Amino acid sequence: MVVAAPAGWAAEPVVVFAAASMTDAVSALTHQYNESHDAVVVASYAASSTLARQIEAGAPAQIYISANARWVDYLGGRGVIERRCDLVGNRLMLIAPAGRPLDLDIAVGFDLAAALGDRRLAMGDPNHVPVGLYARQALKTLDVWPSVRDRLVHSADVRATLALVARGEVAAGIVYATDARLSDQVRVVGVFPAASHDAIVYPAARIIGPGNAAADHFFAYLVSNQGRAVFAAFGFDTDITAPCSP
Amino acid sequence: MFALTALEAEALGLSLRVAVACVAVTLPFGLAAAWLLARREFPGKALFDALIHAPLVLPPVAVGYLLLVLFGRNGPVGGWLYDIFGLTLIFTWEGAALASAVMAFPLMVRSIRLALELVDRRIETAARTLGASRLKVALTITLPLALPGILTGMVLAFARSLGEFGATITFAANIPGETRTLPIALYTLVQAPGGEAGAMRLMIISLILAIAALVLSELISRRLAARFGNGGAG
Repeated sequence: MVVAAPAGWAAEPVVVFAAASMTDAVSALTHQYNESHDAVVVASYAASSTLARQIEAGAPAQIYISANARWVDYLGGRGVIERRCDLVGNRLMLIAPAGRPLDLDIAVGFDLAAALGDRRLAMGDPNHVPVGLYARQALKTLDVWPSVRDRLVHSADVRATLALVARGEVAAGIVYATDARLSDQVRVVGVFPAASHDAIVYPAARIIGPGNAAADHFFAYLVSNQGRAVFAAFGFDTDITAPCSP
Repeated sequence: MFALTALEAEALGLSLRVAVACVAVTLPFGLAAAWLLARREFPGKALFDALIHAPLVLPPVAVGYLLLVLFGRNGPVGGWLYDIFGLTLIFTWEGAALASAVMAFPLMVRSIRLALELVDRRIETAARTLGASRLKVALTITLPLALPGILTGMVLAFARSLGEFGATITFAANIPGETRTLPIALYTLVQAPGGEAGAMRLMIISLILAIAALVLSELISRRLAARFGNGGAG
């Protein structure tokens, strides 16, 4: 049953491009928002880098949520960002299949390569997928990178890594804390020390161009305490105090 | 003339290796399947035909997923191969060859089958009545007459393998130097912000390779046509 919105903004859907790790949280948030505001907000999920490329190429997204600042900066440099707010934070975890758990302490020089045996380590493509960029940085800080860099499976996004670990096709994978809790087929090996990589922050950005009041309204809701509460329920760190800019 | 970067040379070399392996693996099975379809009647032939052609119609990702389920380390076939032979197909270039072989198989079978169907059976019968064994007839009459179709099938399988993406990335993933073939390297660069220049170069390399393969196959089929007359090249 479709009821015309009084403000008339339900006709044009608001399109949100969000990092793959946000899939469940943003789905819940848009569902809740659409129900309570009689709006049509639709979301598309992929690696933040992939989404940045699509937005750069003119994809009709009004809101972009990236898993790192880098790809928002990249779009900012191309003049397509109107406003950005740091939304939530996350942590980086090493996980293993539930049927084949690993016993490892994540510390400087920990022997990840030996623990992998003859299997591989899955992580986002370290050349562009944020979770892969964080993971490579953490492994480098811990002096483990040289011994595992030839043992990787590059995933297109964090959820592809999660699926490979859940299927037991790799010995271990590196995902966000919020992903690790989604599957009962994986076990957490450990959390990477926060100091081993850049802080994981998800900026939400309002894209210049296909502007409308509905998109502005949803963006405000997204970064409000009400919106952040949804992310908190999915395990994201909402203790972010950085102001929006501009 | 531009020099290849290390990444491009690696992806190109890997693509060629996977494509050669794909053709080598597909050829004996392709010949057998084409012969069964062209020359034999048996119960369930229609189903057999449909199964062979399924990869033409199925989304490549579905094929890749099926391979992942069957040939993964924890799959029924993959687990067995590993336990008995220590062979791992998932995440290896051999796995990439398997994925493209499955995708290329129907193309090869179609082309060989057509060629076999066009071989004049009366010549074979004549040879038989003159005392030639079945094997001799197959090797000296049937296969040479079907050769243009067999070569066309091989070229098609080679080309399909060079272009295979969906099944490969699903089953063999994206591993530099192991399974990152030309299309997967290109896809990776298209995804990465700032990867445009590299993606453009890989696109040009793919284009050159495709045109070279097509020109080569045209030359081969012309030469064969001249030698065998209209021998049934698809």
